[in-house]
Amino acid sequence: MSADVTGDGAGAEGGGGADVDQGTYECNICLDTARDAVVSLCGHLFCWPCLHQWLETRPNRQLCPVCKAGISRDKVIPLYGRGGSQMDPRTKTPPRPQGQRPEPENNHGGWTFGDGGFQMSFGIGAFPFGFFASAFNFNDGRPGPAPPGTPQAEEERVLSTLFLWIALIFMFWLLMA
Amino acid sequence: MANIAVARIKREFREVVKSEEAAKCNIRVELIDDNFTELRGEIAGPPETPYEGGKFLLEIKIPETYPFNPPKVKFMTKIWHPNISSVTGAICLDILKDQWAAAMTLRTVLLSLQALLSAAEPDDPQDAVVAKQYKENRHLWEKTARHWAQEYAEAPKSKKDDEFYDKVSQLAEMGFDRHKALTALSAHEWNMERATQDLIS
Ligand SMILES: [Zn+2]
Ligand SMILES: [Zn+2]
Repeated sequence: MSADVTGDGAGAEGGGGADVDQGTYECNICLDTARDAVVSLCGHLFCWPCLHQWLETRPNRQLCPVCKAGISRDKVIPLYGRGGSQMDPRTKTPPRPQGQRPEPENNHGGWTFGDGGFQMSFGIGAFPFGFFASAFNFNDGRPGPAPPGTPQAEEERVLSTLFLWIALIFMFWLLMA
Repeated sequence: MANIAVARIKREFREVVKSEEAAKCNIRVELIDDNFTELRGEIAGPPETPYEGGKFLLEIKIPETYPFNPPKVKFMTKIWHPNISSVTGAICLDILKDQWAAAMTLRTVLLSLQALLSAAEPDDPQDAVVAKQYKENRHLWEKTARHWAQEYAEAPKSKKDDEFYDKVSQLAEMGFDRHKALTALSAHEWNMERATQDLIS
């Protein structure tokens, strides 16, 4: 039984059998030669798809599968070889979410304002409120709200409802654009 | 089964077959089906333990999500050990649960189980009865564990305890199932009266 399987495995992988004893560039998870290789700060080598799946399996306990040192997607270093590894990157690997590829920390592109996507969307989202609030103050210079029941109070209520709707429509338009 | 699981099990299987430990007959692994979803493991009872000379068979089931989740392992050979159920063979070992890491292999699992046979952890028991005996009467636990290894794991009977054999045989002659009789005696400090009561109730 054991002889059969050993034969099959070696046959299927061609010359790969010899690597098992050396294993220097084998992924510590799939035990195959690492594809889209990344190395952890503790020095352990993985395919990125393999390590990614490990981190997804244990989102609350992100430890190196080999030495159990702390590990995270931001703290692995991609390895770029010169040969085959650049040839077959995304066609062979399973599709993976774009944002989850480890990015270098100092990524100051010219086209963004703010440091990242979060701040940018925040700025746009806050804009209509700032705009309508100032427009409201300009039209109606009083500091405090009008007493309830007066025509002014009624007018303010209608206006604020109207502005809320305009703001919502504006945000919807921004999202669609 | 997922490709990565199959490919890994193939490699691990070869790793075990070629390993030093396998050469010394310490660990062994066999395939049960062609899908690589189930294997049969075997570990030798470590020297200077009550399990010495015994062979312990393990049921190993490879989950779809292997190696991101641990294999499901239990003892098929009946064993008297604080961290292994004497009834079901279920194992309490951290690396088979939350301490599993994707870089561990069949070889490391088998070696860890062998280490568990050498060093029980009675404070994290799977079998409360065995763990209690281990803590309160280590000598009796040792004799009982050795007896189980002789009875079920083909351990050599050089240190055979005739008293234990006689008691089990007596109960068997009374019509009780031999294994049930042994379990009852083991759980009741080899007290015939209490074991019999347990068997009747
Ligand atoms: Zn891999
Ligand atoms: Zn590590």
